[in-house]
Amino acid sequence: MIKTFTHEKLLRYVYNELPAKEHQEVEQALAHDADLAATCADLLLAQRALNGVRRSPSQRTTDAILQYSRTFLKAG
Amino acid sequence: METMQPSDSALIALYIAGQEEAFAQLLERHKARVFTTILLIVRDEDVAEDLLQDTFIKAIHTMKGGRYNEEGKFSSWICRIAHNLAIDCFRREKRSPLLNLDTTSHAFNSLSLAEEGAEAALTREETHARLRELIQELPAAQKEVLVMRHYGDMSFQEIADATGVSINTALGRMRYALINLRKKMAAQPVFYDQNLYPREAAPVRVQRIAG
Repeated sequence: MIKTFTHEKLLRYVYNELPAKEHQEVEQALAHDADLAATCADLLLAQRALNGVRRSPSQRTTDAILQYSRTFLKAG
Repeated sequence: METMQPSDSALIALYIAGQEEAFAQLLERHKARVFTTILLIVRDEDVAEDLLQDTFIKAIHTMKGGRYNEEGKFSSWICRIAHNLAIDCFRREKRSPLLNLDTTSHAFNSLSLAEEGAEAALTREETHARLRELIQELPAAQKEVLVMRHYGDMSFQEIADATGVSINTALGRMRYALINLRKKMAAQPVFYDQNLYPREAAPVRVQRIAG
């Protein structure tokens, strides 16, 4: 039986949110449906692009948080 | 060989038991995601640094105060705190879009110059800066879901609960956020094709997402 998947379900798949059974169903479908695989690849590429936008705070801020935690421990 | 990393729950338990090193690991693991979540909302690097501190200070108080609820994921919880603080700040300041986010003053923040060379690193960072601009141009509801899901690590159900919509609405907003980003990126083919994706990505895939 050919099973169709909505874009929303694929989104939940690439973000690892589907229950195990549905996750497996999507994986099986991906192996046989080139269009579905291409759509999924698009989403994965978009994810990768969005990962590139991620920024880190300065070391000064990180140190300040750690210092606060140590101080809080002593006060508590 | 990959070494087993302790779970967030294990680190929290160790931290509450007095091991500061466990908190340092938690912070290292989550700070970039939380910082990005805040930065994409307030659009000001200095404000984002302050709010990141406020976020983790709240977390410290909750954990050390014995009020941390084990039920949810730490990553979602901390990002929800960050998101709320950032939204409050944004509303309070009635901030208009600022340039701070996309200047190149911190151009090499997350890049390894030794690995890819200064010029390539700069190009890549400019590309990422442009992508950040495009995210800012999304409709507010779409941007909110994208930030919460991708950087805040909140599930679509958690986002739906937090924003008072159905999960299908949250999923739909995410879908349209990605569609809109594609359209905007496709309008800038040089930026899109050469820089956004790693070189090993198959060209046919790049064309598909661009189209």
